[in-house]
Amino acid sequence: MKRAIPVLVLSVAGLIPVWRYAPSHDTGSSSTATEAAAPASTPSVSSSAGSGGTTSTVVSGSTIDTEKGPVQVEVTFDGDKIASVRMLQQPNHPQTTAAVPKLVEETLQAQSADIDTVSGATITSDGYKESLQAAIDAKG
Amino acid sequence: MRRVEHVMGFPVSVRIDDEGFPEAPVDDLFAWLREVDARFSPFRPDSEVSRLDRGEVLSPGPELREVLDLCEEYRIATGGAFDVRLPGRGLDPCAVVKGWSVQKGAELLSAAGARRFCLNAGGDVVAVGGPWRVGVRHPEHADRLCAVLDLTDRAVATSARYERGDHILDARTGRPATGLLSMTVVAPTLTEADTVATAAFALGAEGVRWAAAREHCEVFAVDAERRVLRSPGFPVVGTVAA
Repeated sequence: MKRAIPVLVLSVAGLIPVWRYAPSHDTGSSSTATEAAAPASTPSVSSSAGSGGTTSTVVSGSTIDTEKGPVQVEVTFDGDKIASVRMLQQPNHPQTTAAVPKLVEETLQAQSADIDTVSGATITSDGYKESLQAAIDAKG
Repeated sequence: MRRVEHVMGFPVSVRIDDEGFPEAPVDDLFAWLREVDARFSPFRPDSEVSRLDRGEVLSPGPELREVLDLCEEYRIATGGAFDVRLPGRGLDPCAVVKGWSVQKGAELLSAAGARRFCLNAGGDVVAVGGPWRVGVRHPEHADRLCAVLDLTDRAVATSARYERGDHILDARTGRPATGLLSMTVVAPTLTEADTVATAAFALGAEGVRWAAAREHCEVFAVDAERRVLRSPGFPVVGTVAA
């Protein structure tokens, strides 16, 4: 039982953006930046040598139309890890109340996935032994 | 101390960080959950819920009354999308019973003096004291997370189709709710988090806004097109967003 645990726990520490993420190689029409974002001529994918020999890659996401207007994000990868995310386009509509859902890019730093417990849809007792929560419980 | 037991068909994990916390209140917690299963399960012919549904009990006891009042409150609040009395089916208040009973179980531990503990009932979490780091399971990958929360004295519940399939129906149509991949709600109590998550899931895409508009509720949803929506106050950690 205990032997299986490190594998499961390590797999928690993956980097997991949940996002309909289609890297856009089209530098044309929809990449106009708002506010102090990158100039419109910025290529949607660019690379440069980062510190420690890793490669830094900047990827612009596809534009997604939301109720409040188009949203586009730009993600900077440091090797395989997401280093930062910023909004290239965001709706002009003011976020008037905290109750309005905000569309954002969700990213996780691999090292941040040190967790105490897992929330998810109700798991069955049968499914439990394969679950992350079982690994956490067994780790103690 | 940690303990895991299986009640109501799902695992319940308890972790209590208070030094030297006794076993007895934890025994009481599990005894309470087993009692709830016996009394409120629609799958047991001799439960209070089944007997009420068959008309053998004319008036529900105070605890079942409390549960049924909550069910009615959410039925009205969702315009009928959330309903524990579907045509052609028996009374099934499970969606409310789970969060409600686990919240009461957490209050038993608090009353016994526990100050820092985390109670996870099949994926629904009550975090007392803290901060606790709670991962939210990725809706498509069982071994991955889509967010990590920082919770203190709050609860989180997730409704989705990935564990039990299309078990949540939109009572307005009688068909499975398919507008969302997953719906996670953080609220002051698990009673509220669990019921709001299920009701919002039943509502579908419009449930995101509905849940986010509720006072003290924060939401994190993945819609059918895999877009992530969250309320600005959703307590994520490890997110870098401009």
